[in-house]
Amino acid sequence: MCNQNNIYLPYLATVEEIIDETPDVRTLKLVFQDEKVRENFSFRAGQFAEYSAFGAGESTFCIASSPTWKGYIECCFRSVGRVTEALRRLEVGDTMGVRGPYGNSFPIEQFEGKSLVFVAGGIALPPLRTLIWNCLDLRDKFKDITIVYGARTVDDLVYKHELKAWEERDDVRLVKTVDPGGETADWDGKVGFVPAVLEEAAPAAENTIALVCGPPIMIKFTLPVLEKLGFKDDQVYTTLENRMKCGLGKCGRCNVGNIYVCKDGPVFTAGQVKAMPQEF
Amino acid sequence: MQTYLSEHNLHTLLNNLISKGVRVVAPKFNAGTVLYEPLENAAELVPDQLPRRSGKEAFFPLCEDIMSYSKEGQQVTVQDVDPSRFPQTVFFGVRPCDAAAIPVLDAVFSWDYKDQFFLERRNKTTIIGLACTTADDACFCTAVGLAPDERKGSDLFLTPVEGGGYLCETCTEKGEILLQQNSGMFSQSSSHTPLPLAKPQFEKLDLAKIKNWLENHFEDPAWDSIATRCVGCGVCAFVCPACHCFDIVDEGTEKSGKRRKNWDACGFWKFTHHASGHNPRDQQPKRYRNRIMHKFKYYDDKFGQTLCTGCGRCIRLCPVGIDIADIVKGIEQAEG
Repeated sequence: MCNQNNIYLPYLATVEEIIDETPDVRTLKLVFQDEKVRENFSFRAGQFAEYSAFGAGESTFCIASSPTWKGYIECCFRSVGRVTEALRRLEVGDTMGVRGPYGNSFPIEQFEGKSLVFVAGGIALPPLRTLIWNCLDLRDKFKDITIVYGARTVDDLVYKHELKAWEERDDVRLVKTVDPGGETADWDGKVGFVPAVLEEAAPAAENTIALVCGPPIMIKFTLPVLEKLGFKDDQVYTTLENRMKCGLGKCGRCNVGNIYVCKDGPVFTAGQVKAMPQEF
Repeated sequence: MQTYLSEHNLHTLLNNLISKGVRVVAPKFNAGTVLYEPLENAAELVPDQLPRRSGKEAFFPLCEDIMSYSKEGQQVTVQDVDPSRFPQTVFFGVRPCDAAAIPVLDAVFSWDYKDQFFLERRNKTTIIGLACTTADDACFCTAVGLAPDERKGSDLFLTPVEGGGYLCETCTEKGEILLQQNSGMFSQSSSHTPLPLAKPQFEKLDLAKIKNWLENHFEDPAWDSIATRCVGCGVCAFVCPACHCFDIVDEGTEKSGKRRKNWDACGFWKFTHHASGHNPRDQQPKRYRNRIMHKFKYYDDKFGQTLCTGCGRCIRLCPVGIDIADIVKGIEQAEG
C-alpha cells in the first residue's frame, strides 16, 4: 500500500538484475529505493502492480516473485507496446516506478492440506509462478504438486532455469510441453497442446485445487478437461487480465460486467468466471 | 430557512468572494460558449443558460498533473503535487442535474482508495445550486427521479423569483457557513413569489424495471440497433456530469515530464484494447452497451445510485442523434 496521500504516486525501485526469459520476454528484479518501503512492502500471491517507465507511462503485470522472498520483487513482461518497450530499454541500476500491491489474491490458506495442479501457457506462467514458489517455500502444508506448463515453442518457455529446478525436485511433478512443431531436436518434454497434455497427465481431482492461467483459447479448452477429470468449479482458480490504468477501481476500463478486475480480482474461481457476461 | 438575495447583492457577494481570493466558478461565456469557469467579475455571470459542459470539471479537470519526474544519471526523482494549492472555491449557479451528479462522483473517488485530487477540491468547495425555470426537449431529469428544483449536491439552493433576485435555502452546514459569513447580503423573505419551475417533458421512469431488463439482456440484438451508428467520438462521456473514466499518461521525455490524469471515454476503442491486440469490447455496440449498463446497472449495483442525472447534454451533442432518454424508455417498455 502506498503511504503517500497521493494514491497515484509510485514507489521508486532500482533495476538490480535483468533476466531474458525468451527473445522478447524479460524479468526485472527490483529493489525499492526507500529503506522503509524495502522492509515493509508485502503482498500476497496473485496481486498485481503498476510498473512505470518514466516518460512512457505505466503498465499492469502481476508481481511474479514469491511473497516469501524479501528485499526485492520481480516482474516479467513481453515487449509489445510503448511502456513495455521502454521498460526493456532500462539497464541495471536504472530507476523505475512501482505502485501496488493491488487486487485480491489466491486464498492460499484454504489450499493447505490439499494437492495442487498448476496449468499455465506461455507468458501466463508468472502469475502462477509466484504462487508455485510460495507453496514450495511452505512445502509441508500441501500434498502433491503438479505443474503442467506449455508454450508454442521451446524458445517461448519462460523461467527455463526454474523448470529445470522443479523437474529435479522429487516433491514436484512437472509436465512440460510445446505445441506440435515447436519442439527442438533435444526437447525432452511432451509435444501437444496444454489441454490435451493435462488430460493425459490426469491429476486426481479429489482434495485438489487447480490453478489455471493462460491465453483465453487455452483457458477455454482447459476448463472442460478439468471438468472431465472431476474438478468442480470452486476447485478451479484463474486470474483475469484487462487493460488497466489506475488499478484502484476508479478509471473505469477493466470491468467485466459489474466486476472490476482490479478490485474484485484478478483471482477468480471458474464458477465466478462462468457467471460473468462474456466480455473478456 | 429561506432568505432573499437580490440580483445586486448576488453580484456584490460574488465580487467580494473574488476579491478575497476565492475561486468563483460559474456559468460564463468563453468564445461564444457558456461554460462553468472561474469568474473575474460577477458581471460575466450568465445564469440563465445551461453550460455546454457539466460541472464536474470544477473537481475533476479535463487534464491534471498528478506528479512530475526528472532523471539525473540513472536516478529518477518524483515530485508530488501539493493539494493545499487547490483554491477555496464557490461553485455558483450549478444546475440541479449537475449538482446531483457530484455526490455520485464522491462515491467513486472515495471508494476504498481516496483520490485526493477530487476530494481535496470537493472539501474546499461550496456549491450553490440554481433551480431551472426553463427546459428544452432534451432535459430529462424528471425521468431519472430528479427535478428542476432538486437539492441533492447543493450546499445553498437558489430559486429565481418574480421581479428579480432569488430565494435562498440552506441545505448543508457548508451552506450555512457561507450564509453566515455574508449575512449582510441576505434579507428576510416575506412576499417573494418563485418563478414557475421548468417542466421537462419526461415522466419518471421505473429504474428498477430498466435495471432488471439490463440484468437479463447483456446479449440482445437491440444493442446493435441502438448503437451500430455510434461513431465512438466520446462526446457523451465528456459532457456528462457523472461520467468519470480517466486515463493516466506520461507527457514528456525520459529525462523529465509529468504524469497526468486525463478524461477518457468507454466509447473509444482503445479504452479496453490490450497490448496483445485483444479487445474485450471490440465493436461499438459493445462499448455503447457498457455505457448504458454502467449508468443504469453496474453503478447502481455498487453504489445504489444511477449514474445519470438527466441533463440531456449527450442527446444535444451526439453527432449521430443517439438519444439515451429514448433508449432507456424503450428498455422500460420492453420489460413490460
